[in-house]
Amino acid sequence: MFVDTVIEDKSLHKPAFLLGLSITVFAFFFAFNFTNTIFGEFLSPVIGSPQESGFFGRCVVSFVLTVLFVIILFAISFARMRVQILIVWIELFLLFLAFAFSFDLKFSFIQSRIGLMISKGLFTTIYISAVSIVIATAIALVGAIAKLSNNGFAYGIASFYTSLFRGLPLLLQVYLIYKGLPQLGFMVDAIPSGIAALSLCYGAYMTEIFRAGIQSIPKGQWEASRALGFKFSLILRKIILPQAIPIIVPPTGNQFIAMLKDSSLVSVLGIWELMYLAKTLGQRDFRHMEMLLTAAMIYWGLTIILEMIQARIERKYEHKT
Amino acid sequence: MSIKLDFKKSSIVFAVALLSLNMVAKAGAVYDYIKSNNELMIATDANWAPYSYINDAGEMEGFDVDVAREIAKRMGVEARFITPSWDIITSGNWNMRWDVSVGSMTPTASRSEVLNFPAVYYYTPASFAVHVDSPVTTLAGLNGKNICTTTASTWEMYVQGNLDMLDAPAFTYKVTPGTITSLVDGATCLDDTRLGAGVRNDGIIDSVPMIQNAIENGYPIRFLGDPAFFEPLSVATDKGNDDPELDAEITRIIAEMKKDYTLTSLSMKWFKNADGSSNDYTVAF
Repeated sequence: MFVDTVIEDKSLHKPAFLLGLSITVFAFFFAFNFTNTIFGEFLSPVIGSPQESGFFGRCVVSFVLTVLFVIILFAISFARMRVQILIVWIELFLLFLAFAFSFDLKFSFIQSRIGLMISKGLFTTIYISAVSIVIATAIALVGAIAKLSNNGFAYGIASFYTSLFRGLPLLLQVYLIYKGLPQLGFMVDAIPSGIAALSLCYGAYMTEIFRAGIQSIPKGQWEASRALGFKFSLILRKIILPQAIPIIVPPTGNQFIAMLKDSSLVSVLGIWELMYLAKTLGQRDFRHMEMLLTAAMIYWGLTIILEMIQARIERKYEHKT
Repeated sequence: MSIKLDFKKSSIVFAVALLSLNMVAKAGAVYDYIKSNNELMIATDANWAPYSYINDAGEMEGFDVDVAREIAKRMGVEARFITPSWDIITSGNWNMRWDVSVGSMTPTASRSEVLNFPAVYYYTPASFAVHVDSPVTTLAGLNGKNICTTTASTWEMYVQGNLDMLDAPAFTYKVTPGTITSLVDGATCLDDTRLGAGVRNDGIIDSVPMIQNAIENGYPIRFLGDPAFFEPLSVATDKGNDDPELDAEITRIIAEMKKDYTLTSLSMKWFKNADGSSNDYTVAF
């Protein structure tokens, strides 16, 4: 965002804002009533049994929480921005952990299953997503060129394809391809059907990304190349695409991250990927939350890694352009 | 004129010959494929302990899995499992992706339009259950209440009052719920009941071993009344790839497994009561 050179006092350091904030936060804590949680138990020397403390207990708990919240916020406001971000991340993560621990998790159970979840589930998820993104990229390139051509036939096919596959929910496409292709005489197993559905769906979205990327190259580049006597395919390969790729790559990375999570939809076909194992492994012992939270952490961790890689790629292309 | 007629005649003869040829080629096609491939592909659910589930080692395990392995063994081929979702199995048109379903499927009139049921291999009691703190003490107490169950299951059909089982022991509708909460993943019903009586549902209907399993894992629920009904559970094959030879073979194997008490011992192995005694579900009560 635009960084202003006009320096104002931090609004947190103004008494009026601080008071208004305190009242809002108090109202929030009061409305959601944290008396019967761990906070109420912590304050039981003051309010007695949390269950019987009533209005008084609710007020005290909300007040204490408000004071804590505002003091922490006030303290953070003095730190440098990098430190602020770090503290906020740590605090939110601790809150998430507190939420997870409220389920009374059995860690020995997670430990006994996590190997299978990673070796089988995560591997299948990455494998399906990686193959699909490669195919989707190929489809997108052809689709984008067809959509930009002045051949009515090619444009018709490409625009029908993007319209159809962007217009249907991915889950529906998974079912249609799995149940529908055998009717046409093509017997495909679960994994190829899943890959086909993912690549066709994401190919449609990426066609638009590629089209926009190619279109963003100024018309003058085409005209100059034509004036030099280059053929169409050569212009595309050697002049237009090399310039368009830095624009195309970042959103394609985003698509890959999104696909990694959407690949969970193919679990309905019985493919043993991460989501499928998360749903089924805890079933016998009725330990659903353990497996779901484990899968959540694996997906999240993977996404963070991919986002880092993506940031590196973006930086690399930034230097080039 | 005569030439025309001849042409017509010959084309009919040709068509009939082609059709019969086609049928001859089709009869036994699936079974021949199983034999030549030396592999029986079995569709089953991975989310249904103690019938079929994935164990710590990542392999299929459970009562249905044992029965399926035994069928494959007696056919003299290897067993291989595939785990599509339940509605994909029950909707038929398998296109030889898998050969049989050994997944505790109840034969119903609507399912028999797309599937064949060559052999019933056991019967399970279905029962209602409520939270331990529930004020409801009799089945009649659930009338007008909110019952949770699995989508497209026989239990759902039972509470809806349109259960059309084939070859089933007689039963009566004992509960008329006010609302029915149908979840695709029926195990979630148990999680909802755990939250308290009347929070997300007032009671559930499920198979007795399933509820028993939940109670053993510390779920605060109890059985309500006697079992509501007994459902026959069968091996299923695809009507779209009709193969009388395969069906006959399965019928023969299941009869044999009943006769030499293999099914009984498998039932005793997997279906245990709270007091440690075992159940033989291979006979209807």
